[in-house]
Amino acid sequence: MAIRMKVNGEERVFDIDPDTPLLWALRDTLGLTGTKYGCGMNRCGACTVHVDGRARRSCILPISRLEGREIVTIEGLSPDGGHPVQKAWEKINVPQCGYCQPGQIMSASALLAETPQPSDEQIDGALQVNICRCGTYQRIRLAVHEAAAELAGETDGEAR
Amino acid sequence: MSAARTPIRNPAGEDATGKGRVFKAELDRRRFVQAGAAAGLTLGFTPHVLARLNTAGTSSAADAAKSFAPAAYIRIDASGTTLIVHRSEMGQGARTSCAMLLAEELELPWEEIRIEQADGDPKYGNQNTDGSTTVRLNWQPLREAGAAARTMLVAAAAQGWDVAAGECRAEAGRVLHAGSGRSATYGELAAVAATLDVPEKPMLKDKKDHKILGTPRALVDVPDIVRGQAVYGIDVVRPGMLYASIERCPTIKGTLGSLDPEAALAVPGVKKVLPLEGAAQPFNLNAGVAVVAENTFAALKGRKALQIEWKTGEGLESSGAFRDKLQQLVDGDGKPFRSEGDFAAAKAAAARTLSASFHGPHLVHAPMEPLAATAVVTDEGCEIWAPCQDPMTARQRVAAALELDLAQVTVHVTLLGGGFGRKSKPDFILEAAKIAQQMKGTPIKLTWTREDEVRHGFYRAQNAQKLEATLDESGRLTGWRQHTAFPTILSTFMPGATDPSGFELGMGLTNLPYRIPSIQLESSGIASDVRIGWLRSVCNTFHAHAVNCFVDEIAEAAGKDPVQWRLEMLGEPRKLEFSDRDKPYGLDTGRLSAVIRRCAEVSRWGEKTLAEGVQRGFASHFSFLTYVAATLDASLDEEGKVKVHEVDLVVDCGTVVNPDTVRAQMEGAVVFALSMAFFGEITVENGAVQQSNFHDYPMLRIDQMPRVNVEILDSDAPPSGVGEPGVPPIAPALVNAIAKLTGKRVYDLPLTRAGLA
Repeated sequence: MAIRMKVNGEERVFDIDPDTPLLWALRDTLGLTGTKYGCGMNRCGACTVHVDGRARRSCILPISRLEGREIVTIEGLSPDGGHPVQKAWEKINVPQCGYCQPGQIMSASALLAETPQPSDEQIDGALQVNICRCGTYQRIRLAVHEAAAELAGETDGEAR
Repeated sequence: MSAARTPIRNPAGEDATGKGRVFKAELDRRRFVQAGAAAGLTLGFTPHVLARLNTAGTSSAADAAKSFAPAAYIRIDASGTTLIVHRSEMGQGARTSCAMLLAEELELPWEEIRIEQADGDPKYGNQNTDGSTTVRLNWQPLREAGAAARTMLVAAAAQGWDVAAGECRAEAGRVLHAGSGRSATYGELAAVAATLDVPEKPMLKDKKDHKILGTPRALVDVPDIVRGQAVYGIDVVRPGMLYASIERCPTIKGTLGSLDPEAALAVPGVKKVLPLEGAAQPFNLNAGVAVVAENTFAALKGRKALQIEWKTGEGLESSGAFRDKLQQLVDGDGKPFRSEGDFAAAKAAAARTLSASFHGPHLVHAPMEPLAATAVVTDEGCEIWAPCQDPMTARQRVAAALELDLAQVTVHVTLLGGGFGRKSKPDFILEAAKIAQQMKGTPIKLTWTREDEVRHGFYRAQNAQKLEATLDESGRLTGWRQHTAFPTILSTFMPGATDPSGFELGMGLTNLPYRIPSIQLESSGIASDVRIGWLRSVCNTFHAHAVNCFVDEIAEAAGKDPVQWRLEMLGEPRKLEFSDRDKPYGLDTGRLSAVIRRCAEVSRWGEKTLAEGVQRGFASHFSFLTYVAATLDASLDEEGKVKVHEVDLVVDCGTVVNPDTVRAQMEGAVVFALSMAFFGEITVENGAVQQSNFHDYPMLRIDQMPRVNVEILDSDAPPSGVGEPGVPPIAPALVNAIAKLTGKRVYDLPLTRAGLA
């Protein structure tokens, strides 16, 4: 039983075990390895993608539940890495090892889509699902504010 | 700061030969000219062996043909300059820092550098990326490599233009002759430069002329990371690859009792079920059963369907009893490793004595990328792609285990999604190679689950320490006795080793820096039934903890401010001589005092009015040749849980290569240390680890992140460690703050044990 969904704007048909979590379908079947495995149990956020615009953990979402849904992964967030969150991450030099950062960026971009000017508390609330073992949280907060400022068209070009 | 484009790419399917340089970073627009296509210059050094410089060669193929071919960190050909980074990147900035050292002396424009990640190869010297050593070990050789190449390129230009070399200069990837206005790119000069003699002692640039070193640079991989294009070990894709997962025996020395693979083999997509034998040190593998399938999920599903009985063994380590044994050890006499004065006499004469025992648990690394390795075995040998800190050890172990020549084993190093010491161990690479050996010609990607990573680690050792202090009538400290007990890391390499080694004791204990009339330091060993490994900062974490907490107790007993006490007990600057991995080093107590003093200033220690309910703790520590002091502000919430608000950290790590990396590493060290102090605890029952994932081995999250302020002291001293030294002072600063908050001292970590987290 094939399952159809849109991934990064393209129609995709999955003819694999319908129990397969979206994470592994993206990584192994489509070769979209930007979405990371970290825990497999909705505890670390490394696998965060957008499902119909909302941040979801792909490691616990079987593809059987995603028929007809729209998925966006880190590779599809912007055509060229130019999403304000991606730009802010570069500008603030957020990543260390970088492994959790696609998940952080997907959580942050979903937050800003709903809450364009989040407070620190709102950032913490939305991103506490995402573990960063390298400890880049301070820079993540800064970068979310930076991205929010750019989205509001008031970036001063000198965040740090 | 604009980042250089230096991707590690994973062009699946592009590489028809299966032997391509997949992880050679390449700029799309500046593709490296293949072997033999152009004459060029390859330059590098085995550290400190200038005489072995390679003076010619066009590429790796040409290098291989030269019997004297040494390490090679720079390759210049008609297409331009490639910097070859031989240390592993796990977020600590190795790729960026190494490139900065080379580019500075080579006068390359930072925005245009391109980097290749080196395979595991002795020609690069020490590639074992651990111990906060990348900049420390490569500061001189990489700058010299760059300077030698620059000198030769200038000489080549001067020769071609028939002018004096002194009239020419290198700038932004070109050599210029001011008098005539002529210029040539390095690529144009490479062929001639390759024929020239290598300068024995190339002139290094003066610090005041540095354009790159000492300036903040974004990590070179950031553009790929934020686009989801960075390739970690778990992301490797090879043509025709199958996916593997291993169910392992819960105990390291256990064996397979019985296996029924039928249900697993019936899972769609499962191709094979392969029993894997365990192996003793130095291979140090769990017995396991591998499931090989068409994709990761099928492998995991097949693994769940396996019917296995393990012979786990009886009477193995259990954490509670292990703790009691450690306490018994430190209550008795240990093996002395530093004795000064006469502690027994000091104790007999003391007006007052203090005593405390400290305990710390086993800890696991939990890098966000669990372990993963891809291997293919053919008649020619074994090729591996892996996120490894130590590619040469991986090569050697695989060669030995598969009975191949070293030359038949290739290890390509991917990015590491965190390492923290775990990925220095080649066990996961060996497992992938052993599966691939049984499925010749098929690339096998082995992916560990988080549960595998937590349960089959090389753990930071559970430990106990007993400290005693003697004070005279005036409260002056007259004697210090400290007995440390833990299973040694040596047990991971040598069966039967139990006594802590000198290098473990040297991490924060042998080098106790205070002027105390009588010092008696003792150690005891104990055998563990789990594998012991190094985890970020290693033994410094528990030694610095006990020392700093006990110092606060002593200062309090003496009625002194703990910062003032430290400064007084360090006294006039002295140089203490110790050794690290058999190499002598000096601990300059003046530098330690300087970070303490500066930290007190920037945090306004004793002056700042803290918010109501907030208390402040202090700690300082010397590790990996770096000096760190930190204050930490904390409070208790309504439920009595600790909240950390702010950390001020001052670091002296000698000459700084990339100040932004130093800051990032200190910020990250605070988080790493707080995760350990709050939650970090691995418990063992009959040799089997009880935790499995982030629900029972939690990490600090963004809502618990304090504000971290970092100040880096200016220094002309040689560069010292950065990745690890920030960790040790944080937990004791926290516990010292908690003592003020609750009036009670915490002697056991993590804080969850006392209900504080």
